[in-house]
Amino acid sequence: MIKKILLFIPLTIAPLVAGSHIGSPGVSFEGNAGSYEIMAQINPPDVIPGTATVDIFTDGSNITSIWAKPEYWYVGDEGTPQADELLPVEGEAGHFRGLIWLMDAGTSGIEIEIKGNSGEGSVLVPVMAVSTRQKSMDPALGWTLLGLCALLVILMVTIISASVSDGMVKPNEPITARMKQRKLIGALVSAVALLVILWGGKSWWDSWANDYRRFMYRSLKATTTVSESNLTFSVDTTRLSNLTFTRNISYIIPDHGKLMHMFLVRAGSMDVFAHLHPTRKDSVTFVSSVPPIPGGKYLVFADVTRFSGFSETIPDTFEIKEPIEGVLDSSQLGKDDTYFFTNSVTETTPAPGALQDVMICGKPGVRLPLADGSTITWEHDTANPLRANTLYSLKFSVLDENGNQASLQPYLGMGGHAVVMKDDGTVYIHLHPVGSYSMASQQTMLARFENEKGPFDFDKRPKSVAFMDSVDQIIEHLEAMTEGDRNKVLMAGMQHDQFDASHPEHSVVSFPYAFPEPGKYRIWVQMKRNGKVLNSAFDAVVN
Amino acid sequence: MESLALGGPANPQERPSVPVYLYVTVLSSFCIIVGLIWDISWHMSIGRDGLFSAPHLAIYLGGVTAGLFSGYNVLKISFAGTAEEKGRSVKFWGIFYGSLGNLFCIWGAIAMLTSAPFDDWWHNTYGLDVTILSPPHTVLLLGMIIIQFGAIISVLAYQNLESGTESIAGMKRFGILYALSSGFVLGMTYTMASEYLGRHEMHSVLFYQISCFLFPLLLSAYSVSSKSRWGATQACLVYSVFMMAMGWILPLFPAIPRLGPVLNPVTTFQPFDFPLLVVVPAIGIDLITQRFSSINRWLLALFYGVCFFVLFIAVQWPFANVLMASNGHWFFGTSKWYFGSDPNWEYRYAFPPWNLNSSMDWAIGIPIALVIGTLAARIGISWGHWLKRIVR
Repeated sequence: MIKKILLFIPLTIAPLVAGSHIGSPGVSFEGNAGSYEIMAQINPPDVIPGTATVDIFTDGSNITSIWAKPEYWYVGDEGTPQADELLPVEGEAGHFRGLIWLMDAGTSGIEIEIKGNSGEGSVLVPVMAVSTRQKSMDPALGWTLLGLCALLVILMVTIISASVSDGMVKPNEPITARMKQRKLIGALVSAVALLVILWGGKSWWDSWANDYRRFMYRSLKATTTVSESNLTFSVDTTRLSNLTFTRNISYIIPDHGKLMHMFLVRAGSMDVFAHLHPTRKDSVTFVSSVPPIPGGKYLVFADVTRFSGFSETIPDTFEIKEPIEGVLDSSQLGKDDTYFFTNSVTETTPAPGALQDVMICGKPGVRLPLADGSTITWEHDTANPLRANTLYSLKFSVLDENGNQASLQPYLGMGGHAVVMKDDGTVYIHLHPVGSYSMASQQTMLARFENEKGPFDFDKRPKSVAFMDSVDQIIEHLEAMTEGDRNKVLMAGMQHDQFDASHPEHSVVSFPYAFPEPGKYRIWVQMKRNGKVLNSAFDAVVN
Repeated sequence: MESLALGGPANPQERPSVPVYLYVTVLSSFCIIVGLIWDISWHMSIGRDGLFSAPHLAIYLGGVTAGLFSGYNVLKISFAGTAEEKGRSVKFWGIFYGSLGNLFCIWGAIAMLTSAPFDDWWHNTYGLDVTILSPPHTVLLLGMIIIQFGAIISVLAYQNLESGTESIAGMKRFGILYALSSGFVLGMTYTMASEYLGRHEMHSVLFYQISCFLFPLLLSAYSVSSKSRWGATQACLVYSVFMMAMGWILPLFPAIPRLGPVLNPVTTFQPFDFPLLVVVPAIGIDLITQRFSSINRWLLALFYGVCFFVLFIAVQWPFANVLMASNGHWFFGTSKWYFGSDPNWEYRYAFPPWNLNSSMDWAIGIPIALVIGTLAARIGISWGHWLKRIVR
């Protein structure tokens, strides 16, 4: 068992980045499938079993066909059905679309296969297959079904009453009074019987709906307490009705070298932002030092990924009346933890120092100053508003104090991190240059498909205590490394350059994302330069 | 050579033996059961289907044909029918005339139509179900079985009316149509309950209790209502031959799973179940009918119930061992395995412990099964006598 854990762990310390969501179910991807550069947007079904919509965007050249198929972590690679071809979207060169069935709940992925002049290429994009929505019936359909039901009841009453009376009378013989009485009794008895059957049917339907609700995905509950400069995050794991191993909190794995990625955002104004990495106190309790933050109500989003590849965000809120003195010393706060204050999202004026409509590489953009004197520019034309459900590559470039292209360093093994939130807190997503999915899930699935055959044997799963011990040792080992060494480990085996390939000096990072609904959003971008994490916050209006 | 005609005969002297309508309804019943078994096999082997998959088309063909023919008959008799045609029909809702068989088929077609948008909404709301019994599927199955029942009623109404005046050849044809239509209903009934009647359940009390409800109900009705001395046996033979034929034919065709996860990568259609050996107790039931049909109906029901349980468990229990030991033999279709199920499941060819019962369970369960069987048979007897009297 220990051997199995040790075999697994080296694979998980490769670039593992959480990709979780709240209110943003789509999964975005930007990167390579073999030698083909693609962007992808996968909209998973909100009911399992159901169909995921897969949209692939390419430059259209050299590609003859694109195929996709679902893969499940617990089943293994052999359990994959035949791939389905994604078909070109009429009038949109290079855009392919198709539907892929996800039949079971759990950790799944869509394998995209591209065939063309440069041979074949493939990439696996993880998708968490869970039912998230309880739908109601459209009134028009409801009335139609009710009408048909009434017709069926009336017709059956007619049939039964005729069956016990007229139907037994030979042709041309008179219908006696006794027969008429039988007809009436038959109608009454059958009407009562049918109503009882309908009531039974409704009870059956209700029990089906209750079962569905019982097994529907719900975020884990957590309780956050902040005392002086310490934060405690306690996860309640007692309400899992299914996927009890898949979502077991004891089996979380290092995700980009960290067990948990936690974001704090002050509710309403969104002017305070912190990215923390709590450590495990026990299997369900996580602790962290707190930066000096002002009083107010805070939204908490904690991203975790499991041994099963299942990644999710655990949300919570907390409120502090007074400012927290917090910890300013990064050695106490956690060397990779960071926090950032900026203007309120409710303000109509731009952030201090912001420049609208600047030109970067010949394209319009929005520029913000960074803490070290450099600037960051979002290649976004404010005159050309963003649209919901459209996949964008959100591109950010950094210029140094002298206006030259800056040289960025990896931050936790990635070219950059971004968090996107809607101003009302209903949408949260943690993005990376490869997309919105969890690379930990991707690595876990790929490792399993490569090293194991057949369905996962749940009876032979590693013991949780031994698993946690092994994971803690790995994290300890990583924490003891120099940053350079750790980045080498975290970036080993990366399929995709974390920096924009057209800027070899590593000054530009892009994040693929489709805003799920119209509204006002804030985008926090985190990059690293000269050993310091540089934070910035851009606002976006999405139509 | 006998002629065929739509609707009822106008003149007894020119009376055709079997109206086309009867062939159509029995054929519709056949299309429905073929389509259903094929569809189940499709879902076990390929998984994904569309609105117009081949099995669905077979089912629609049955439903639409029976519904349209019946609807046409009702409209024709109501608005252009002769006095004799109206005299052979039941009048309903003040203006309409039609046979009971017509009405059953129309009801079945409307129920099938209703199930389509209901099932579509269901799949969008609760996910694509891979179960036979869900509320919208039940509406569909009820529609199908009512159409099939309409076929029985249509045949019986003619058979009962023409009894004594029909030629031997004509009565034989009615007999064949009755055996076919009753056998298809038996097949449909088995299919609806098949989630509880699989080989893994054949050593459980519940299997025999459910069987004691379903089969004595149908078999005693068939035995009582049939003009043949072997009504129940003939229906069981039709059911058995049909199920075996489907079980042997379907695996001849290639099929690859189109949905994941695929735990069992099949390459051909997976057949449905081998028929239960209900033909054995059916023979017993027919023999009882031949000897004791005029005794008290409750006593007759007791004979039927006990006969069914004793003979059925005597043959099905050891036969279940044969099915398990066949280890996937093509003859029994026991190699079939849903593509989404693990083929290495330890109980694939064994009775899982949770489907086995203690002695105490059996001590309580057997009397319950006997009571269920007797009550079901009693209902079946009344039903059979009613079927004998249907003439419109």
